[in-house]
Amino acid sequence: MEERMNSKDVQIHINHVGMTFKDNKGNDMEALKDINLDIKKGEFISLLGPSGCGKTTLLRIIADLLKPTKGSVRIDGMMPREIRMQQKFGIVFQSPVLLDWRTVRKNIELPLEIMHYDAQRLPERSAEMLKLVGLEEFANHYPKQLSGGMQQRVGIARALGIEPELLLMDEPFSALDEFTKEKLHVDMLDIWEKTNKTIIFVTHNIQEAVFLSNRICVLSPHPGRLSAVVDVDLPKKRTLDIRDTLHFSELVAKVRNSFEGGSL
Amino acid sequence: MYTRKKNIFVRMSENVNVQKALGVILPVLLGIVIFVLWQTQVIHKIFHVDVFTLPLPTRIVSIMIDNISDILINTKATVFAAAIGLLIGSVIGYVIAWVADRWKGFGSGGLIIVTAFNAIPIVALAPVMTNWTRDVSPDASVRSMVSKILVVMIVSIASMSINAYRGLTELKPYAMDMMTSYAAKRREVFWKLQFPNSVPYIFTALRVSAPNSVISAIVAEYFAEYIIGVGRQIRENIVLAQYSTAWAYILTACIIGIVFYVVLMIVEAIILKHRK
Amino acid sequence: MKKIRKLGQKKWLVTLVWVIGIVIVWEIMAFRVAAVKRTPENILPHIYQILYSFIDSSPVAGGQTALMVVASNAVATLLRAAVGFLLGMGLGFVLALLMKLSGIIEKLAFPYLMLIQMIPILGMAPIILSLTGDIGTSRIIIAAILTFYPVAANTLAGLKSVETEKYELMYSYAAPKRMIYTKVLIPACLPYFFTGLKIAAPMAITASILVDTLQGDGGLGCMLSQSLRHAMSIYVFWDIVLVSAVIGILSTKLMGWIEDLVSPLKRIDRQIGRRGGK
Repeated sequence: MEERMNSKDVQIHINHVGMTFKDNKGNDMEALKDINLDIKKGEFISLLGPSGCGKTTLLRIIADLLKPTKGSVRIDGMMPREIRMQQKFGIVFQSPVLLDWRTVRKNIELPLEIMHYDAQRLPERSAEMLKLVGLEEFANHYPKQLSGGMQQRVGIARALGIEPELLLMDEPFSALDEFTKEKLHVDMLDIWEKTNKTIIFVTHNIQEAVFLSNRICVLSPHPGRLSAVVDVDLPKKRTLDIRDTLHFSELVAKVRNSFEGGSL
Repeated sequence: MYTRKKNIFVRMSENVNVQKALGVILPVLLGIVIFVLWQTQVIHKIFHVDVFTLPLPTRIVSIMIDNISDILINTKATVFAAAIGLLIGSVIGYVIAWVADRWKGFGSGGLIIVTAFNAIPIVALAPVMTNWTRDVSPDASVRSMVSKILVVMIVSIASMSINAYRGLTELKPYAMDMMTSYAAKRREVFWKLQFPNSVPYIFTALRVSAPNSVISAIVAEYFAEYIIGVGRQIRENIVLAQYSTAWAYILTACIIGIVFYVVLMIVEAIILKHRK
Repeated sequence: MKKIRKLGQKKWLVTLVWVIGIVIVWEIMAFRVAAVKRTPENILPHIYQILYSFIDSSPVAGGQTALMVVASNAVATLLRAAVGFLLGMGLGFVLALLMKLSGIIEKLAFPYLMLIQMIPILGMAPIILSLTGDIGTSRIIIAAILTFYPVAANTLAGLKSVETEKYELMYSYAAPKRMIYTKVLIPACLPYFFTGLKIAAPMAITASILVDTLQGDGGLGCMLSQSLRHAMSIYVFWDIVLVSAVIGILSTKLMGWIEDLVSPLKRIDRQIGRRGGK
């Protein structure tokens, strides 16, 4: 499976990427095999698949948290490491990874401090981000005082605060309850529209992928490989009602059927 | 593309077996370096001490071999006091934890008191115990042994009661609900759930109290009536300016401490084999 | 808020009941001892007798009252313990940092750190005195070694408790090592560091008192031995037992109070507690 496009629009170029791990017994385990994918600027891409399909591995390779054993990734023509050194990645993990001893505001300012952002403009910047995720009132609260959903929103605000080239999200909503998740889905689309960032979103939830993204990369396990790419031709502005439409159901079915061997 | 050729040092540092081996080799090397510096009297020059107060390692070992029968007698006394005190104290500590769990309100208050007792310095405890055991037996050696055991016992209670209480109460989520749903009796809940759950915590407690029991026995010997034990021999020999002999007993004390700990680790490894 | 206050009161009450219980048992024993012994104050005096000896104005040694003897020597013992304690604390913290920074240092030092825990350092007090020839130095050395181990071991555990995700987060910001330490690792290990201090504080005091007993240079331990040898009133001995127990308990409490003041996490817990109580 290859997904290639006109080279001038491409922001991320994933070229024959393969990843082999050693398991406990020292045997080789092929987590990713020959992944080829181009991603355009401003896309919302979902990496979708069951556990063990290598979707998180692929995200970590893009984020320079892992080095692929085969092939290469280019972002704006540069290696992931160069992008990371330029501090252009915004990452949201499955858990919010907030520092308990810092207030919400201070947590959002953490990466800015590391980047020696102008100290006088810090409060302004963090306030802006808090507004974006709707947590203005909680600026001086501590993480422990917030619900799981609010903590994850702080994580998103922190990732966006540094004006990243790329927003990488690793199953960010999987630990949240359905109601909170729905709210964050709407927020996410809103943030995407406002910031126009390229977003790579890892998930194992088909509905979530269809609702959020403009393109879904379906991965299958053993070995992890790209088995289909589904374009989501829904309007960019979406409300929760869209999930009740026939077209949405058809898209979900299409994605489900695209898993090789019906592994879901 | 990323597979750059790595030099031998990088490859070595990534190898798990090399790392494991280094964990043994490096400390052993450090030990050898210290031994050599000591034996060649470099340490003596650095710290301005003479060979009389800090005898050479070979001399200490030869003294140990010469006096092995005396050393064994004193070792027996110290080990006996430490082991029996540790055993009784740990059992009492566990019972206190059980009581604290059984009658939550006032029991856990008792736990606070026990931890407070833990802060009493052994130095103050030892003479009190010597005083209290004067009537136990007309034989001074028996009196002193009882008083040493009491000191070790008191020192061992606190760490066991605190850890065992955690072991009895920090259960897997829903484990207690499950037992309740079976209408399990209190005795069954204890033997089938709480006690097995507390076993790793017992070892956590022992890892603190086993070395402490040796220390307490040694310090208690300083204040004991009857002159016996590794601790007392250290002090007596220093008073007599027999530093080599004192060092032989210090080495003995260290060996006792290490053996206590190692035995504990082995027992723990065997009993908790299937839990890790 | 009412509920919390009720709970607090109850806990306080429970402890009080226990203390009263212990006092009653002590007094029953003291009466029994007084009935059968010629010099009951050597075995188990009444609690009021011990307390009275603190305010008794008759001199016990060199024109000083018992209170003056105990107080002045307690200060001496505490100051000497404090020097060793601070030294051990600093060294322990630095070693933990170094062990975290360098795998080689960790491998070199870890077995020896374990060894310190296993061997009876207190039992080595007399020989360290002979080696240094100076009681002050040996006190500092022993208190420092005893403080060193719990601080180093706990701080290292704290540094290692930081989740991988936090490293990855800092890595993704290309944060320099220095910042990973100042912004994540050191704040994260503070509670563990204080756990080490709470364990070490009474140990340092015990060490100081023990070293006192080795030479007639003042300090609580020295007075304790003199009193035991009946060089002064035996009540001084009981006063010192009581005072050293209280100091031992207070030293741990003191570390807790300092933690409350210094540690941001504790401050947050307090703030949340206050807000939650509204």
